[in-house]
Amino acid sequence: MRSLPRLSLTLGVFGMAIAGVATVVAQRAGAPATGAAPPADATAKIVAAAQAVSAALDDAGRQKLQFAFDNPVKGPGWSNLPVSMVARNGIKLGDLTPAQRTAVMTLMSTALSPNGYRKVTEIMKGDETLKTNQGGRGGRGGGPMFGEDLYFLAFFGAPSTTTPWMLQFGGHHLAINLTLAGSNSSMTPSLPAAQPATYTIEGRQIRPLGRETDKAFELINALDEKLRSQAILSYRVADLVLGPGQDGRVIQPEGLRASALTAAQQALLLDIIREWAGIVTDAFAEPRMAEIKANLPQTYFAWSGPTSPGSVAYFRVQGPTLVIEYAPQGNVDHIHTIYRDPTNDYGKKIAK
Amino acid sequence: MTTARRSRSRTGAALALALAALAVAPASAHRRDEYLQAARIGIESRRVQVSLDLTPGIAIADSILTEIDRDHDRRLTPEETRAYTNRVLSDIQLSLDGRPLALTVVRSQYADVPALLSGEGAIQLQLFATLTPQAAGEHALVFVNRHRPDIGAYLANALAPADQFVSVVDQKRDVNQRELAITYALQTVEAPPMAWPVPAIAGTLVIAAAARSLQLRRERRQR
Repeated sequence: MRSLPRLSLTLGVFGMAIAGVATVVAQRAGAPATGAAPPADATAKIVAAAQAVSAALDDAGRQKLQFAFDNPVKGPGWSNLPVSMVARNGIKLGDLTPAQRTAVMTLMSTALSPNGYRKVTEIMKGDETLKTNQGGRGGRGGGPMFGEDLYFLAFFGAPSTTTPWMLQFGGHHLAINLTLAGSNSSMTPSLPAAQPATYTIEGRQIRPLGRETDKAFELINALDEKLRSQAILSYRVADLVLGPGQDGRVIQPEGLRASALTAAQQALLLDIIREWAGIVTDAFAEPRMAEIKANLPQTYFAWSGPTSPGSVAYFRVQGPTLVIEYAPQGNVDHIHTIYRDPTNDYGKKIAK
Repeated sequence: MTTARRSRSRTGAALALALAALAVAPASAHRRDEYLQAARIGIESRRVQVSLDLTPGIAIADSILTEIDRDHDRRLTPEETRAYTNRVLSDIQLSLDGRPLALTVVRSQYADVPALLSGEGAIQLQLFATLTPQAAGEHALVFVNRHRPDIGAYLANALAPADQFVSVVDQKRDVNQRELAITYALQTVEAPPMAWPVPAIAGTLVIAAAARSLQLRRERRQR
């Protein structure tokens, strides 16, 4: 009988040790990678850039820019559709002076990683190309339907280093919803899309979503026949399942479980995920990637369509805190994607 | 988006603008000649919920609108939208373990006429079926959408169950997602299983306390 108390004591100490190790591992996983600023510093920089936008506006502009944090227009105020079909919130770039516009784009470059900022600006330039190719009009009232002027910025809640607020930026084929709560962040739901998906400016070929496209084909072709057959869905997927208007919904995951992948294949999958999770500035992208990596064994990769690069193919990555969908709209030159965290869309977890 | 009723003058003006948009913006249209029909199915112990979003592409939107707008006045009245909702409903089949389930409309929302004509407006239907108490174990729920198969592009997905007693085991579809067969498992609702850590921790504490008590008694006796 004497051994029982000793056993319970030993078990208790063992449990505490495991808890301690788990805490350290979790803290390390949440820490920014070498070179990334601490999240609190990143928040301070974004808040300063956001306050610079407010300061550059007049009273009417500030009134248009600012919404209450819980204002329900935040959800319906983003879409893949042109702004003439779904009205966006906030100030329109086309209404701003060059200095005000610079302040807005400085804010975006501060909030996003270099790759994220490149993606956003290339999506906007693509829309300008669409405008040029189509004559640029066609909105309700005969107004413009496409172009770089038709992107909007709104703040939900006052920019703050301590209390929650959200930055919403977007227009046709673009939505960035970045919630900050102190040193925590959530950049979901966000919608980077592209039409045209390939275009040329001054002889340079531009593919806003080229990296994710190429990486996805690389992964599906890195799978052996058995794994590929688990990943490939037996049916056609015509569009995003959890696109705009589908807030709060979680579908049953399907496809290949990432726990079945080799380490190299898992690295490829994480590299695809980073194309969305890494749109935000590195200080926030790194803890987000650590969370996604920790959930990788419960994450699924599903594919619909041919596997030869350049084909029209849909794919989905879904884990406990992640949904990514990539859905060509009948051809490779028009792509919709969505990035969600069903547990933390609009920062619902961190804004408590 | 708004519900069907709109004033005649506003609709006329909006229609003219939409037709103008249609003329100049063909390349912007998403899925021009298909009728996207997206179903999301939520299973609970005692009911099934179906959300169905119908979005006609720009090239076929006029023909769908004509089907809804029976008097061709380019206004959608509640009677017209109700009749179309019922037509869609008659093309949908839901069954559980081979027995048909009756679907009831909870809500229907129609995009305005210009939005529908632009190929971006949607018709959103919320439907549900009540289930009689089911035995624990696996069940087969089959959803079939036969609405406009000539132009339909379909999505059909089971939602991750919010009901703790329900878990989705498998989903099978035809290549076009017109038919979705969901196998789900239902646990006994009356006796939910207790989470294993609770009795385990309680048991460990009881054993530890008993052992400590015995040890103290033995030490007292030794003194």
